Amino acid sequence: MDFRETEEQQMLRQAVDSIAAKYGHSYFTEKARSGGRTDELWDELAASGFLGVNVPEEYGGGGMGISELAIVLEQLGTNGCPLLLLVVSPAICATIIARFGSDEQKQLWLPRFATAELKMAFAITEPDAGSNSHNITTTATRDGDVYRLRGTKYFISFADESESVLVVTRSGVDESTGRGKLSLFVVDLDSPGLEKTLIPVEIVAPENQFTLFFDDVEVPADRLLGTEGDGLRQVFMGLNPERIMTAAMANGIGRYSLDKASTYARERSVWGTPIGRHQGISHPLAKAKIEVELARLMTQKAAWSYDAGLDAGEAANFAKFAAAEAALGALDQAIQTHGGNGMSSEFGLADMWGLTRLMRTAPVSREMILNFVGQHSLQLPKSY
Amino acid sequence: MNVVVCVKQIPDPAAPQALDPETRTLIRQGKLILDDSDAYGVEMGLQLANQAGGDVVTLVSMAPNGETSGLRTALAMGADKAILVSDDALRGSDALSTAKVLAKAIERAEPDLIIAATESTDGYTGTFPVQLAELLGLPSITFAKKVTVGDGTVVVDRQTEAGYDEVECPLPALVTVTAGVVEPRYPSFKGIMAAKSKPLEQLTVADLGLDASQVGAAGSRQEVTDVSAADERKAGEIVQDEGDGYEYVVRFLEQLKLI
Repeated sequence: MDFRETEEQQMLRQAVDSIAAKYGHSYFTEKARSGGRTDELWDELAASGFLGVNVPEEYGGGGMGISELAIVLEQLGTNGCPLLLLVVSPAICATIIARFGSDEQKQLWLPRFATAELKMAFAITEPDAGSNSHNITTTATRDGDVYRLRGTKYFISFADESESVLVVTRSGVDESTGRGKLSLFVVDLDSPGLEKTLIPVEIVAPENQFTLFFDDVEVPADRLLGTEGDGLRQVFMGLNPERIMTAAMANGIGRYSLDKASTYARERSVWGTPIGRHQGISHPLAKAKIEVELARLMTQKAAWSYDAGLDAGEAANFAKFAAAEAALGALDQAIQTHGGNGMSSEFGLADMWGLTRLMRTAPVSREMILNFVGQHSLQLPKSY
Repeated sequence: MNVVVCVKQIPDPAAPQALDPETRTLIRQGKLILDDSDAYGVEMGLQLANQAGGDVVTLVSMAPNGETSGLRTALAMGADKAILVSDDALRGSDALSTAKVLAKAIERAEPDLIIAATESTDGYTGTFPVQLAELLGLPSITFAKKVTVGDGTVVVDRQTEAGYDEVECPLPALVTVTAGVVEPRYPSFKGIMAAKSKPLEQLTVADLGLDASQVGAAGSRQEVTDVSAADERKAGEIVQDEGDGYEYVVRFLEQLKLI
């Protein structure tokens, strides 16, 4: 067993770090607050191939896995630039398409995921379905050469800057279980009948959230991903990468917070001594450091399991839970370490709260993970 | 054209450093990284070489414990191959004995152009490149802020205190480049993945036809006899600006005879 990252992974970390450090957190917040996009950072990362590290080599990608993509996102977070877009477009959408797309579909989309020229949103959540994917009510109905989509999707990130959206629909009913049969479609965001409405949120991040209304949206049949009715299995293939990437983003924020806090605690002197000498300051930071490092270890394990083709479900859930909690703890303690400065915009901490707090809830809530662990890891009776 | 870039692998300057209490030189155990000042030379070499046309960029380095991390970074940037000289007998080398060893290694690459940084970021002697040129019997041009290669010649804008000299010299030659001569690229992901499979030749002192008594501490003429801490910086003067702050600035600059 070897816990060290490979030489390539270390170089990747360092190269992403060098690029992200040029931008930094002030760039991120400036773009977020002015309604701008982080195109400069995105394009520079894309030009070096860092946003397509997990796309198969035959389609121009890096040919590696979620482990490498997680390193990219963690280093962005460490520099105060946690780009949520990485959790969705390359991690969920490219993974599902690489796994289930037809040869034509892979040829159409994967080379553009490799260069990150293509940004694709993902739409599963609905106002009334919550975490219950079986209750999805957005329907797809075959009509000659096309499918017609009707329904509403909720909290769809960056539907404004994406070209298309991977939509989870109900396309029929399984006779034996009575449950909906799901099908996935890649839908252009400028399709007639598709409307989007901004959802105002208290998150300082360059990505916006939307409600999508599908009013009889016509989708060509060749936009159906893989086999009709096979959607549930396809979605599950994308959900572990989503959890692992969310954990990586949280780990980056945790490290960013601890770096800020320890620098401040070493330099800030009150009553003639650095405040970091006081155990009231150092012990909570040390505890937060341990929790962040434990979360990183589980994230690494989950990513490694996924890339090795093993069942990564349990590790991905552990990692997402641990990383979200550790990041919140580290950020909270970093704010506390800064005293009043913790709330000032200049110090770049309090503005991270909304995004970090979101990760306790999304993409899967803390409680749903505890349900999963209770039922599957501990074999306790099913609660829902 | 064969371009050789001299590359030093150094302890991470961002990490805490320590001196060996006996030799009073920098402790260089553990992971080493590509000296930032050499990234400019690597980039310059990559820009001057037409790799598609058969030009080759070779990195040459000397480091303890077979350390290759810094070389891999430069290979990931795009260099074609690397030669590493690593041998316990090299411990305690001064600049001149380093130049003797690397001269032997560089000869193997049959260079048309050798590029080095003006000075390293850990030792700062700044003497190695010209010693190397002398040992190889090649002309050297230092402090290049612009380098172009023509038909068998190299043309350099050489930084001076007043401006720059335009110097031309026949190849083969050695050029030292300043930071800012070109903007170093970041390794791409494809470059990172390709770095591992690029040729990296590791040589010992014996491979170079040298004797252990000629190199390392034994072959060095220079010895660090004493080390003392730098003076602590004095506290600055704080001036409250009440609309007359500029007068203090002017007085301060006059004191320094800057105006």
